[in-house]
Amino acid sequence: MGQTLAEKILAAHTSSRRAVAGSIIEADIDLLMVHEVLGSRIMPILDEMGFEKVWDRDKVLVVNDHWAPAANTQSAEIHQRNRRFVREQGITHFCDVDCGICHQVLPEMGLVGPGDLVIGADSHSTSYGAFNAFSTGLAATDSALILATGKCWFMVPDSMKIEIDGELGPMVMSKDLILSIISELGVDGANYLSMEYHGTTLDRMSVDSRMTMANMSVEAGAKCGLMTVNQHVREWMKQYAPDRGYREVNPDPDAEYTDTLSIDLSEKELTPMVAIPHSPANVKPVSEVGVVPFDQAFIGSCTNGRLEDLAVAAKILDGKRIHSGIRLIITPASKKTYMDALRAGYIETLAEAGAIITNSTCGACIGGHLGVLGPGEVCISSTNRNFRGRMGHPDSFVYLASPATVAASALKGIITDPREVSP
Amino acid sequence: MNSKLDRIRGRAWLLGDNVDTDQIIQGRYLTLLDYQQMAKHALEIPRPEFAASVKPGDIVVAGRNLGGGSSREEAPQVLRELGVGCIIAESFARIFYRNGFNIGLPLLIVPEATRFIAEGSILEVHLGKGEVVLVDTGKTLKGKPLPDFMMTMLRAGGAVALYKTQKQRGAKKQ
Repeated sequence: MGQTLAEKILAAHTSSRRAVAGSIIEADIDLLMVHEVLGSRIMPILDEMGFEKVWDRDKVLVVNDHWAPAANTQSAEIHQRNRRFVREQGITHFCDVDCGICHQVLPEMGLVGPGDLVIGADSHSTSYGAFNAFSTGLAATDSALILATGKCWFMVPDSMKIEIDGELGPMVMSKDLILSIISELGVDGANYLSMEYHGTTLDRMSVDSRMTMANMSVEAGAKCGLMTVNQHVREWMKQYAPDRGYREVNPDPDAEYTDTLSIDLSEKELTPMVAIPHSPANVKPVSEVGVVPFDQAFIGSCTNGRLEDLAVAAKILDGKRIHSGIRLIITPASKKTYMDALRAGYIETLAEAGAIITNSTCGACIGGHLGVLGPGEVCISSTNRNFRGRMGHPDSFVYLASPATVAASALKGIITDPREVSP
Repeated sequence: MNSKLDRIRGRAWLLGDNVDTDQIIQGRYLTLLDYQQMAKHALEIPRPEFAASVKPGDIVVAGRNLGGGSSREEAPQVLRELGVGCIIAESFARIFYRNGFNIGLPLLIVPEATRFIAEGSILEVHLGKGEVVLVDTGKTLKGKPLPDFMMTMLRAGGAVALYKTQKQRGAKKQ
């Protein structure tokens, strides 16, 4: 029997070299990413464990990103704890509050490549599937055990094959595609599964766009969102990890999938989508949401705060002014994204259009800081979750959409199809 | 070693489908370093009265996909902090399920749980058999018995306790 991508990558990380869907295995971890959860939750567990030394100081990335820089005294204390841990343990890879969001900085540091097994203490760690790596989110206890041992147990997931062919139209982004997939599957439609993406659309897709899809695979409950390597990934590796070798992993032709979802974009045109409060699976075409005014528009996060996202927003808002009475907040996914956008002129264009540009942080997406919603407020956001209370007050409302849709909406003051304002 | 696991008895608190981690504990409370403080906000959005009136041993009963969203271990942890004895759901989101066992909080998958279990009813959970008995009517609901791997972790008191036991054994052998 052939192996899926998940089976192949996991098998390569076990001592027996075997990993069959449904079985429980122990695997060696290539990289563990932890953020503020290290200082707040993992360190007390390490104390309880009698932890002394990290299993491999080169295989851990610590990031201060959720409230960066500190939003209050508690987050400041957590950051202090993380810095102390990094110092005491001699951790090689550390991103303090000036770097950016973990899921963006990790690939920028060249810390993930094809075939890797990466664990993050954050649910959106599925993002690295875009690089042909098996990656998933776990929490504090598992992270503490990995810090001590470098190992972790997994139930090898069944896999769902998602085949996407055809072209995305103008102003239609990979966010629209993943929202429509989550809508099709539901929030638990891929629970415990590996979503394995294939097809010509993925073969051509930029790294930025692929990351959005792998990132949000978890919103359908998936354990991981895996992709094969394309030319853009090879170029990324050349730029960001020039010194490391890697082997591209492909599933066997006779691999077994529990389900297949086929999407042919040439047969059925995909239009800009929006997820209505309070579920990422509650998705409609933008053209069908009616007149929805809002208070805040947000472009940022590990889902859609990358250069491509800022570029499309700048294109839409170039020489224009956002609608009066609303605020547009833009939070680049990393310091590097910020600097690249600055050099490309996007930051100036966006600021002149009336946007507030913040430093890189998880910030508004988690209702942390720099754009928290008040009671009754409505936000159109390029982020990943519109759960009740996610971005602030429990009585606020979040609509999820692509950066193009958010920018077009900021221009009009109501949720707007970006194709209507396309420059 | 947790010996209370063979018979867990408590009052049912009902939740609906897709109660995500933000409904269990909102992101804005995650910087609280003390779980006791954080637990005061458990289930604040769907059941605002929960934290103040839940009693040790009570059982949370949910519909489909409990605990979707964030990987935050704080979600099962605040429920454990308040003394919740067991969580029953028709299905669990992946990370929440794993986190529960990791912290030593029993979780049981019982299809149709919310169809038969009423708010406030007294339940008796037999984890090994994967069964829930509605004490008032004597009706038994069949769930999914826990794999040995999970039972071992629960009996030890969670993944960290299990790690410590195994480490001690390893040290003795040497």
